[in-house]
Formats: sequence, structure tokens, C-alpha cells
Amino acid sequence: MKPIIETQHLSKWYGNVLGLSDVTLEIEPGITGILGPNGAGKSTFLKLITGQIKPNIGTCSIKGKRIWNNYPLFSFIGFCPEQDAFFDELTGWQFVTGLLRLHHYSSAEREDKAQKALEIVELVEDKDRVIKSYSRGMRQRLKFAQAIAHDPEIIVLDEPLNGLDPLGRRKIIRLIKSYKGEGRTIMVSSHVLPEIEAMTKRIILIHQGKIFAQGDIHYIRDLIETHPHIISIKCSDPRRLASNFIQEEFVLNVKFSSAEKTLLVETNNRDKFFSLIPSLSVKNNIEVEEITSPDDNLQAVFDYLVGK
Amino acid sequence: MVQDSKEKLSFFLSSLKDVYTFFFFMGKKSKKMKIFFLISILPVVIALIIKINQFFSDRTPIQGIYIFNNMTVVMYLQFLILLLALFYGTSVCSEEVEGKTLTYLTTRPVAKSAMLIGKYAAYTSLIIILTTIGVTLSFFILNLNDLLNFSLYKILLRDVVVLSLGLICYTSFFTFIGTIMKKSILFGLIFSFGWENVIQYFPGSTQRFAIAHYLKSLLPAPKTGRFSFLMFRLEPSPPLLAVFMLLLITGVFLGLACVLFSWKEYIFED
Amino acid sequence: MTIKEKGYAHWDGEFLDKKFPWWPITRYGIKLTFRKKFFKLVFPMSLLPAVVFLAGIYVSERLEDFKFMFRDSVPFLQIDPAYFKTYLAESFMIFIMLITVIFCGAGLISDDLKHNALQLYFSRPLKKRDYFLGKTAVIVFFLFILTLVPGLIFIIMKLIFSGSFKFFLSYPWLPLSVIAYSVLVTAFFSFYTLFISSLSKNRRYVAILIFGIYVSSDIFRAIFYENFHNHYFSLLSISSNIQQVGAAIFNQKTPHPIHWILSLLVLTAICVLAWFVLKKKVRGVEIVK
Repeated sequence: MKPIIETQHLSKWYGNVLGLSDVTLEIEPGITGILGPNGAGKSTFLKLITGQIKPNIGTCSIKGKRIWNNYPLFSFIGFCPEQDAFFDELTGWQFVTGLLRLHHYSSAEREDKAQKALEIVELVEDKDRVIKSYSRGMRQRLKFAQAIAHDPEIIVLDEPLNGLDPLGRRKIIRLIKSYKGEGRTIMVSSHVLPEIEAMTKRIILIHQGKIFAQGDIHYIRDLIETHPHIISIKCSDPRRLASNFIQEEFVLNVKFSSAEKTLLVETNNRDKFFSLIPSLSVKNNIEVEEITSPDDNLQAVFDYLVGK
Repeated sequence: MVQDSKEKLSFFLSSLKDVYTFFFFMGKKSKKMKIFFLISILPVVIALIIKINQFFSDRTPIQGIYIFNNMTVVMYLQFLILLLALFYGTSVCSEEVEGKTLTYLTTRPVAKSAMLIGKYAAYTSLIIILTTIGVTLSFFILNLNDLLNFSLYKILLRDVVVLSLGLICYTSFFTFIGTIMKKSILFGLIFSFGWENVIQYFPGSTQRFAIAHYLKSLLPAPKTGRFSFLMFRLEPSPPLLAVFMLLLITGVFLGLACVLFSWKEYIFED
Repeated sequence: MTIKEKGYAHWDGEFLDKKFPWWPITRYGIKLTFRKKFFKLVFPMSLLPAVVFLAGIYVSERLEDFKFMFRDSVPFLQIDPAYFKTYLAESFMIFIMLITVIFCGAGLISDDLKHNALQLYFSRPLKKRDYFLGKTAVIVFFLFILTLVPGLIFIIMKLIFSGSFKFFLSYPWLPLSVIAYSVLVTAFFSFYTLFISSLSKNRRYVAILIFGIYVSSDIFRAIFYENFHNHYFSLLSISSNIQQVGAAIFNQKTPHPIHWILSLLVLTAICVLAWFVLKKKVRGVEIVK
């Protein structure tokens, strides 16, 4: 698939502070999650790819065209910024229609698109209230509405779930996922792992301005194959199974969990380890009830990569 | 090539119109505009008080047009238009940066220069309307007994034009200041009420470095007596040159502001 | 007890009262003002008049040495209460004070409103009184540097340069006048600035209003006086009122032939109005209409 967003050696400094360092990426259609702790450089990256700031080094292009000061490209881009800032004296409706006006739509088109966007974020009933009377969640949804109102091909969402209650989060997550099917490119940033995990498996890990890893969560898992990996096995006789494991070179550590009949094995070769389990189980007549990988989630990947 | 340029120009103008409409609406609706409207009609209240007093006073009343001319200079030319231009000029860019709303504007398919000029035009026209309402009402109140003297209307028209030119020129200058400086208001106050006043007291060509010089060149030289100190040592430029200079200053600063706004990156403060 | 059965847990212990809970607010306000580059440039310049007046005091004691510079009498160099009034209560100094309060005071409350910081202040052991004190002290700090400090230094230097207490014995009330005037003008500007700062979240707008109201009050006075020739219109002008009271405090002839008490009443009324508005505007919870 042809990449929609491309960056080459993208670097950005704020005075002496490093914002982003040597980022080379290709982003294809679909949902891509940008993950990293606060201050990692997620917002800097999103600001660079939406032309809010210009890179010190490197290039950033969307659909093959540089983004900085290339305003026609913004017909295809919808951006939901991180900051909780609005034209507070406007109503929700005036805000969305006003910004749609800047896309040169006719009055009828503006009204139609604003209505649709506000319906999607469920703000139609409150559309005539001034924004400053909105709750944090409503403001967040309104930001989302202005980003999708002009039906953009590329949607960039900087921490879109901030300030939302669990129900609001689920709604927005569902909404973001629904856009995936329409061939759009969606970039979502967050520092909350389950949020990103709920939306996509394709992630970019950023830490201290650098890309730590990029790709499918399993691809990232392969990347960190050399790192220890914990697997939990619930079985009838964990001690006997453990005695077999400790003879293997790729088993680094064996622990007994506080949970009943559960064994925690730390390995640096997941594939070999998984292929060994059935044979050991049969040979020793041990009934395996459950095999899980407690750290096979984004948090674990992230923790490994940042060296926690 | 020509076709392409024409299309670009047409797109630019259409963008300008959209930005203008958006900010004209927003500016009109804002609380600040309402407060400034109240401030700008304070001269009308003064005019009303003066007129009412004239009705009940035994003294020979001062001519309405005389008071009006002085009010134009003291209240509007030397104070209100500076204040309005300073606030709205610097608002064009600073408002978006301080309010962190710039992102909404710069992620639209509109050239940054169109964004800046459109917003400048919207705010300038709003403050011209405010000023014109105040000046016109003051004129009618102060010249209530002489409303059939049509030669007076020429004076009203002249003053409205001069004040509008002043607003256009000052707002452009402050728009530029707002794009280049973070704390533009204090610089603006020192420029408006320091530089612009002090420089006029210098003889020769020095006073030509003040915008106020060209505006005052378009007004008749005052007779000696009350208020004449306001035009102290004015060595006026010819009216045509004054208008040309005002438009040139507007164009230059607006152009510079566009270049800066297009190329400068604005980082929001936390 | 399950969580749902629990109410709010009230603090049963004692609150430890700090002596100056407002001090961190003041310290931070002063620090923020000095962070502004433009202020760093302008503020030393605002002290230039004080340096010039101090030089005047020096010259007044060495008139013989400087005689060649002055052909005729040099009334300017008579160091008396009028000299102090000229420094402290003339329009140029009041204007400098105005510019200073715009620098240091415009954002004092408006920035807190903008960042929704009031609830952060009042979620700490801080009373409204402490908040106001902290903010006021920022303005007091800067205005005292312009008024009280130079005023007292002038007196001390005059005594040192003259080498006798003659000056002090001639005007024993002068230090009190300097203190009274400095306190009065600082109190007025503190109320005036904080009041306007509480009206908007936009610091630029506040700065414009602080300046605009001050200047327009003077313009109104001028226009009305020109038309009505009535000195009572000087009560409309902030600057005139301060000058009237200033002249009275330094036992000098007031610039307008009306009683200075009226000016004091006008300034007090503005402060009272400001206090009521401040009390209404500054609260921990923002009520959105």
C-alpha cells in the first residue's frame, strides 16, 4: 500500500530542548496509534505532520507533497488538537459551521456537514449552547466534530480521549474504528495504552523524541525477542513442570505465582518455549489448563523498550 | 500560466471573503466589541451633556462644529482610534496564539496571508463602524441647530474618512507588531502615546516618522486658541502625499505581517 | 463501612496557620514580572527621574560649586516639600506608575481566570484575603520602589549631604507625608489594577482598559472644563484627583481650586467599588451563565 504520510529524518528542537529526533516513517491508510509517555514527542510529531510547526532537519510530506505552508493539503486533513481551546463565545454550531466556511463550502453544505458531524458526536441537542458552558467531555467531542466535519481523508487526533468519561471514551473509540473501514488514514496519539490497544494493533512507540518501534504489536514483539518474556501456565503440577523447564537454555527464570497452581516462566525465546510445552505436558502427564502471556500487551512492550 | 494566476487570485479572494465573514461575525458577537462600543460612544454622551447645558445656559454657546472638530482630534484621533487599533490590530495574531486557537485556522485550506488579511479587514471594518457611529452621532447632537447647513456635512465626511484612514493604517501597523512580538500591548502603548505624540513636537522632517503627522495633515490647521497646542509645530504634508503615505504604510506593514505570519511558527505557552 | 455509605471525610485535626500564606503569591508575581524582557528594559528607565531628583539634592548642597551653571536664581533647587511633591505627585510620575502597574498588574488576576487557577489557590489553606494580599503586594513592591523608597532616600540623602538636621527640623512631618502619599497612591493603583484585571481573562484587553480608563478620565476632564469652565470636572480625572490629594499631603497649593477631600472621596469610592467587584469576581468556582 502506498504511504500517505512520509517523514525523512524529521527532527525538531525547542531551543535546547529536543522535541523529536531523526524520525523516518511511512504511514499507510488505517489507524495508527502513537504511543508514548507525556513529553515523549507525540504532539511535536503530530504538529509536524500537520504543518503546525516546521522541522529543523528533515522533511515531512503528505501524499507526496511537503506539508509546511502547503494550505491546499488541508482539504484532506482533519486535526483535533490536544489543547482545550475554543472560540468560547461561539455556540457549538457556530464553531463547526464557521470552521467549515474556511473550507469554502456553500451555506447548505456547511449546515449539512455540521449537522452530520454533531450527530456523530451526539452534540446536536446542545449545539446552540455557547461553548464555554460545555463540559470537558462535550468540548472534547466538539473538537472531534470539527476535525471530521469536512469528511477528511486523513484524520489526526492528538489525545482525543482526554477528559472523557468511560462511556464517552467507548463512543469515540467506536467512532474512530468505524472510520478505518472507509480507507482513511487515522493517527491517534495517547499515553494510555489500553486506549490505543482498543483502537489499533498498529503502533508507533515514541520516547524522548525518538521512535522506539513501529509496526504491528506482534512485529514489535519479534523485535524484542531477545528481551525476556513472561508466560503464565496454569497446570495440575506446576513444580514438576518447572523442573523440566529449568534444564532449557532459553528459560531464564521460573517462579510460582500466588495464584493457585500457576507457574511463571521467563524466556528469551518465545517460539521455542511454546513448541516445548505440548511435549513436556504429554511426557509428564501434566494437565495444562491455561497458557497466558501477562505481558503480551502494549504496556509490556513499552516497558521493555524504555528499559523499565 | 495566466489562467493559473487568475485561479489562484480568485481562490485567494474567496478565502479572504470566508475569513472576513467568519471573523466579522465573531468580532461583532464578542463581549469586548460591546464594551468598546460603549467606550466609543462616550463622546456622544459628552456631546449630549454639552448640548443640554447649552440649552439651559445663559452664556453664548460655543459653535457646535468647533466643539466637534476638537472632539475629533482629542477624543478620536489622539485616543480612541489608537486604543481600538492597538487592541484589534494586535489581536489579529496574538489572540489566536494566546487563546491557542491558531491551530483551528492554520489547518484549513486557506493561505496564511489570506487568513491574516481577512481577519485584519474584518476587525478594521468593525472598528471603523464603531467610530463612525460615535462620530456621526456626536456631529448630529452638537450641530442640532445647524443641520440644514450642508457645508458641515463635508466636515463630517472628511473627519470620518481621516479617522477611517487612521484606523486602517494603525491597525495594519499593530497587526505587524502582534505577529512579531509576544507582549505587543506595552510596546503599542509606548508607541501610540509616547512616540506618536513626542515626535510631532520635533521640527522639520522628524515629525514625518509619525502616522499622526499624515492624519493631521489632512485636517485643517487649527486657529490659535484653545486646543491649538494639539497641532503644535505641525508642518503639514500635502493631502495627496499624506493619503499616499498612509496607504503605503498600511501596505508595507500588512505585507510584512503576512510574510512573518506565513513563515514564523507559533509555539503555544503552557 | 462500604464506600457508598461513607460521606465526605472532614478534617478533624488542626489547621496550621502559616504566618504569611500570601507570600508565595507575591514572590511568584514579582518573579514573573522580572521575566519580561521589555520590563527589564523599561523599569530601570522609570527610576531615572529619581536619579535626577537625587542629583538635584546633591547640587542643592553644593550650589557654590555649580554657580557657574546657573546665572539667575535657581528655585528648582530649593529642597522643600514642593520638591518632593514635584517628584511624587506630578503627572509624569503618575504616568510612570500607570505604565508600571500595566506591566506588573494586568495579568495578576486575569491570568488566573484564564487558566482556571482560582480553584487551585482556594483548594489550599489560603483565604480570599490572603489571595488579595499576595496580589496586592506585587503592585506594592513595584510602586514603593518608585515612590516610598526614593522619597525616603531623598530625605536621608538631604540630611547626609547637609550634615545637619536643619531640614528635618524645618519639615518634621515630611517623612510622614512621603509615607502617606506613597501608601495612598499605591493603594489606589492596587485596587484599580486588580479590579480591572478581574474583569477579563485577556491580559491585553486588561492592559488596554487600565490605560484607556485612566487617559479617558483625563480627556473628559479637559473637554468638560473647556466647555463649562467648572473646576469640579477635575474630579472626573484620576490623575487630577491624585495630584489634588498629593498636593494636600505635601501641604502645597492644590492644582484645582476645589477641596482636596472631594478628590480623596472620589479615589476612595473607586477603591470601594473595586473591592466589591473583586469580592464578586474572585471565587473558587466559576459560574457559567
